[in-house]
Amino acid sequence: MPLNIDFLQVLLHMLNFVILAGALSLLLYKPIASMIKSRREYYDGLADENERQAKENSRMKEEYEKKLAEVDREIDVMRSEAEKESAENAKIYIDRANEKAAAIISAAEKEAEDRKKHILESAQTEIGELVLSAAQKLVSDTVTPERDSALYDEFVRLAEGTLADKSGESKEEPTDGK
Amino acid sequence: MVKTIAKKTKDKKISGRTLFIIIWLALILLILAAIFAVGLPGGEKSESIKEVMRDGVLHENDRVSLFGLVTVNPAVVSAYAVSALLIIVAAVLRIFVIPKFDRYHPKKFQCLLEKAVGFFYDMANTNSPHSTAFVGAYIFSAGVYIFVSTIFELFGLGVTTVSGGYASLPAPLADINGALGMGILSFAVILGAGLVKNGIKGMLGALKDFSLPISMSFRLFGALLSGLLVTELVYYYTPLSFVLPVAVGVMFTLLHAIIQTYVLATLVSTFYGEAAEPKKKKQKNGK
Repeated sequence: MPLNIDFLQVLLHMLNFVILAGALSLLLYKPIASMIKSRREYYDGLADENERQAKENSRMKEEYEKKLAEVDREIDVMRSEAEKESAENAKIYIDRANEKAAAIISAAEKEAEDRKKHILESAQTEIGELVLSAAQKLVSDTVTPERDSALYDEFVRLAEGTLADKSGESKEEPTDGK
Repeated sequence: MVKTIAKKTKDKKISGRTLFIIIWLALILLILAAIFAVGLPGGEKSESIKEVMRDGVLHENDRVSLFGLVTVNPAVVSAYAVSALLIIVAAVLRIFVIPKFDRYHPKKFQCLLEKAVGFFYDMANTNSPHSTAFVGAYIFSAGVYIFVSTIFELFGLGVTTVSGGYASLPAPLADINGALGMGILSFAVILGAGLVKNGIKGMLGALKDFSLPISMSFRLFGALLSGLLVTELVYYYTPLSFVLPVAVGVMFTLLHAIIQTYVLATLVSTFYGEAAEPKKKKQKNGK
């Protein structure tokens, strides 16, 4: 054969390589290739998971921002309601305070009126006693039943007249004060 | 800071000077080798350069016995020796090393092995995406075989010929029979892919590249033989065998080992991918 080609040797070379290829495939290529493949799958899986997580995070962030905006709106509404409510409460409180003040004033006025009446009544009694003692003193010298009776009547009449005048003046005072 | 920069600059100057000295000495040695080659007579040789070159190509005289069964070229013995070595190493790795590998946290040696396997694994995925498992294993084995068997030549192991002489073991693929075996086997793998994936039509489609085994075989043979012949030529003349063999050996052995591994793996995976690609059915209405 040209170039010293020998088919037996060609076949021997082929046999040699087939044996070698089978052995190398089984012993080295397959275990290491499977290792490479599984690691790549693992890291591809991680990358996919990270991408999915990133998308999920982005979605959650949007959701959170939306919720935050809603909460801000709710806070604004609640604040305005609270302000309104506190204004109403303040008004009620002020009204009550005014009512209370009015009641206190009217009670004070009534009490002052009662005191005034009481003072007048006690003054009237004291005046009567004074007059009575003065009259006893005066008439002790000239005591007759007729004279006594006439004097008493005169005194009573004068005293009533005086009291009526004073009470008329005291009634007119608040009108003057206004 | 300034001192550090000055020191670095000084280091750079020293490394530049060292490089200059290396180049200078290499140049002197090369010129000396050239002077020897031109001016000095060579020693007496038992055979002429023509015979040496002819024997390098045809292996007519250096025949060796394979297991005492048949008489073959030394390249066949090289092939079986390389295969035995590779299988032993692979078995040791498989039994003692690979089980200790950490699947998710690889260390240096694991990275090295994975880099080697991953190169062919990725090449198979890229060039033959429809069918990767078989072609990946095939080109890995072919690549490792071509690379190691080409490097094997550098060890210069010898065998006794049947005529009682001595022959150094060459790269298996520097023998035309070894290269033909590899080419035919690769073509058979491609045809097989076409047959398995696309039936008879697929096989016939792959058969149109009938020149493929010849081109692959002769490419391997030519590339590796050229290195062998140049090395033989250099070693034939004593004066040339001082400095040049280092450059020649590296160029024609290491580079060929890498280049031929890459070329054959790429060609096989590409043709395999083409043959294994699912054929689109033609539409009847011609749209």
